[in-house]
Amino acid sequence: MTPNTLPDAFADLGSWMEWSLPTMGERSAQRQACSISDLEAFYHAMLPRMADVLDFLAEIAPDDAPAEAMALLHLAHSFAEVAPAVECFGQPAVSYGYDVARFIPGPEWAREPSGQ
Amino acid sequence: MSTTEKAVWLTDKRWHDDHPELGTDPIPIAPYISDEQFELEREHIFGKVWLPACRVEVIPEPGDFYVKDVEVCRTSIVVTRGNDGEVRAFHNVCAHRGNKLAYDQSGNTKRLVCRFHGWAYDLEGALRLVPDEDNWFDLDKSCHGLTPVAVDVWEGFVFINLDPEPAHTLQEYLGEAAETLDGYPFAETSAQPYTFTTVFNANWKLVKDAFQEVAHVPFQHHGSLPDGFVSKDNPYTHFIDMRLYGPHGRASLFGNNQHVDTPAQALASAYGSTMVSSVFSGESEVTEPVGVNPTRSPDWAFEMTVFFPSFFLAVTEGTYFTNQFLPLDINRTLVETTTYYPRPRTLAQRFSQEYSRVMFRDIFLEDGRQVEETQSMLRSGAQSHFVLKDEELFIRASFREVERMIAAGVATSGSRQD
Repeated sequence: MTPNTLPDAFADLGSWMEWSLPTMGERSAQRQACSISDLEAFYHAMLPRMADVLDFLAEIAPDDAPAEAMALLHLAHSFAEVAPAVECFGQPAVSYGYDVARFIPGPEWAREPSGQ
Repeated sequence: MSTTEKAVWLTDKRWHDDHPELGTDPIPIAPYISDEQFELEREHIFGKVWLPACRVEVIPEPGDFYVKDVEVCRTSIVVTRGNDGEVRAFHNVCAHRGNKLAYDQSGNTKRLVCRFHGWAYDLEGALRLVPDEDNWFDLDKSCHGLTPVAVDVWEGFVFINLDPEPAHTLQEYLGEAAETLDGYPFAETSAQPYTFTTVFNANWKLVKDAFQEVAHVPFQHHGSLPDGFVSKDNPYTHFIDMRLYGPHGRASLFGNNQHVDTPAQALASAYGSTMVSSVFSGESEVTEPVGVNPTRSPDWAFEMTVFFPSFFLAVTEGTYFTNQFLPLDINRTLVETTTYYPRPRTLAQRFSQEYSRVMFRDIFLEDGRQVEETQSMLRSGAQSHFVLKDEELFIRASFREVERMIAAGVATSGSRQD
């Protein structure tokens, strides 16, 4: 289960926890439900912290990840999800694109790590 | 590369010069919208060729099974790993009254049990248990096993062939095109797959065609990949190299060494090979297999192999992807696309893969829109032919192979009736 807390070093990102979503389907649906200014706000809040986030996540193996680290990973995944909207398209959806809701993602992991 | 000395593939070399038998005429649109054509393709192509069913990692243990529906051949196949460790495939149908045997997509079981009346089969296909057996009439269980399907494995890809007597072994069928990939670390690179499935409202050949040329990249993918596969020297994304091997094709894709990472790309690329950034670094050193980037171009990004009829395999360093396009009917195609990575050792590597997963999807969405919009216009009759350029060689070759197989199939079945 995703907890409501991040690792202490990233408590400043706590106000973005609504983006800490465990599956691509949920992250994608939230991207599509937001305005581009919502996405830009989240993107620009995350971008200056991402180097530190990844330094932190680089020390953690998937199989014994604490719940707080997984919550941070899921927040980082949402950064990845919104990045093309902000960096490439300037709108939530792919410009002149196929409906992402019809493009069904498979599992997040080949096998579930025991940390989840 | 020096701008004064152009690589041979940026000169006036034409791929079609190597294949005069294919001609250069426009190809007709009618086979993309003809119901009669679809019935011929069903019988003479999809019922005859080797089709990928799954990776071996999906069925690692004895008792594992995986169900592959092949609607174009009006069947469902269950791929199993028996107690002896062997991979087998069967029509997913009970021998009692024809019910679909496994309803689940995958699982692990000692017996595949029909949900209708409980007939139970082992994973080697033998009928083991019939409840109320005495109520039948001299039932010999050994005569009522599952109907086997030809199956073989290449580099961890399980292929099936629905022809009861396949004309070729899998190795013969994949031929030299597969040999070019000998030595690629498929096993190590397949531990973490990310799959997408969808149904495009378009003919399978139209879907395939959209993916077997990259000349559309500077236009259709301008939003997602403005400088990835194009450069000042190669503004129209010409292939570095391309070759046909019988019905299959292999091409080296150009990547722009001068590509500038977006902020998110730079973050992701620091922790692993991503589909959309790392491949443009010019630092990828794939020295094996020799069939990958055979010209050893420093501008190489991907090696794409297109196996007839509709299986794509594109490899680069540290990651590869597959596309399979299986027709559902004349106007609908089941799309299954998967990107493969090594198992992430850290959560930062998992993030890197997620970024790549997102970008791969968004690029694919640009293609998906196009194939449906194109299909929507083909029946207008306003145009009768596709006018192909040199870089669209694979589309022409594929079209000719469809024609050839149908003609051969019709001739054979005609002579059988005589």
